[in-house]
Amino acid sequence: MDFGSFLKAPEIKVKVITYRDIFQDKAMIENRFGDDYRDRSAVIKLDPADLKQLSVKKGDTVVLKNSFGTIVVRAEESGYEPSHRGIAYMPNSPWSNMLVSDETGGTGIPKFKDISATVTSAKGEKVTEIGF
Amino acid sequence: MEKNYYVCTGCGMLCDDIEVESEKNIVNKVHTACRVGVAHMKEGRESAVFRVDDKPVDEATAISEAAAILKNAKNPLIFGLGTSTNETQKLAIELARKTSATLDDTSSFCLGRVVEALLQNKFKVCTLDDVRNKADVTIFWGADPSDSHPRHLSKHSYFPRGTEKQRGWEEERTAIAIDVRKSHTAKICGNYFFQIPPGGDAEFIDALIAGLSGKLPKTSYNFPPKRILELANILKGAKFGVVFVGLGLVYSLENLEPLIRLMDALNEKANFHLIPMVGHYNMRGFNENLFEETGHVNSVKFEDGTVKHGPEYSIVESLKAKTVDAALIIGSDPLSSLPRSVAKNLLEIPVISLDPCETLTSRRAKVYINTAISGVESGGSATRMDGVKVNFKPVVETTRLSDEAVLKKIMEAL
Repeated sequence: MDFGSFLKAPEIKVKVITYRDIFQDKAMIENRFGDDYRDRSAVIKLDPADLKQLSVKKGDTVVLKNSFGTIVVRAEESGYEPSHRGIAYMPNSPWSNMLVSDETGGTGIPKFKDISATVTSAKGEKVTEIGF
Repeated sequence: MEKNYYVCTGCGMLCDDIEVESEKNIVNKVHTACRVGVAHMKEGRESAVFRVDDKPVDEATAISEAAAILKNAKNPLIFGLGTSTNETQKLAIELARKTSATLDDTSSFCLGRVVEALLQNKFKVCTLDDVRNKADVTIFWGADPSDSHPRHLSKHSYFPRGTEKQRGWEEERTAIAIDVRKSHTAKICGNYFFQIPPGGDAEFIDALIAGLSGKLPKTSYNFPPKRILELANILKGAKFGVVFVGLGLVYSLENLEPLIRLMDALNEKANFHLIPMVGHYNMRGFNENLFEETGHVNSVKFEDGTVKHGPEYSIVESLKAKTVDAALIIGSDPLSSLPRSVAKNLLEIPVISLDPCETLTSRRAKVYINTAISGVESGGSATRMDGVKVNFKPVVETTRLSDEAVLKKIMEAL
């Protein structure tokens, strides 16, 4: 019996910062419904120590969740130094926008680059398809 | 041999040195442009599409349906236009007036505040050509042009040997990045990369202002004062400095007061200009055209011959409060670019989408017309990120209508 399956998967809280990526932008222009755009957008870049805590390997999928939405994306190592535990990076896309709060304080400006979410292993679940 | 150069409308830089090889109205090769520009100029392949309720229709049906939606709406939203020509934008302003519409563009949730402040003369400005020819100190703050405006550093801000900068980046230019992560641009800046924590920009500005006047710079996140003083000394020595303002900085500040204060402080000691890192090729044009007409750069509502303005007329607040009852979206994809928690309200109202390509928004629109790609398949004029006017002609011909032509037809149908 696999006792591990009864254990709650480790969960961490992260602040997600979004950014622009030229390869992802090009993929969007070529086909915003294509695999290349999805593969370059549905990604979260984490600190290696956070990956370890989640028991997740590079390239595995993870679940990002907050009160605005839930998405499954691929986890990668950020490659950034110094250590940035608790801070993660995602290219700006419809995937990151699924987690952006509607709270704007009446300014008309959502916090696109300041997203709070929890991360857990998606245990092999596939990346979220975007649609309405 | 005289060469035929085209303008790339892939981003707010409007590079005007693009060479293209085309045959039978298909662009086969693009020279000089960046990765994004090449993809943009080779985008157009499809034939004209007119759709109502997901079914193909003829042009007249699509136009009359679009006109009916606008006519029946009490408060339609007209949104987008960042990838439209100045001529199209002026027509859209006229259409908004005629239909008592709420009119907004993406600048309401990105760089609109900065463009508004510079149109109100709150910053000293310069052109990208000035930067190429004269700039000795450039700051990329919350901006990563290596990804967002790929030719920025090579064409204007760092690598060129401008008329007064013949010794180039090796000797005569200093590029500085201030950011929360080591972006590709930050890597180029080497030791002049200043990494601050998320949301730490306002404090860094205060510390830098203190450093400029020789005081001890302090931050709650203990940024080494010595490094801030080192930065302040470089800035004080600038003969022609430029701050390129990106979204990272703008989103981090509650208002622009700290940035205005910093630019004033810099100009007490040196000579500093500001250029916003505008993304869409003619967002600045929209801001300027609307400013000329109404005194505001975005988020307006036309009503009984008057113009109301405020964040409540931005796309985000209008959708949140559900104050708009139809939407004409021109060259934009709010279902992709807005938070889903806000964008979902678009699904409750009839949407007209004018866009060269299929998007999440066009797929859920009641009326969809795939327009010509502005700058590739149709010509006009636009305003570069630095305010310079640029005229361009189409690279190839298409059977698809330009957004300008569609707006004219909708106005006639009204």
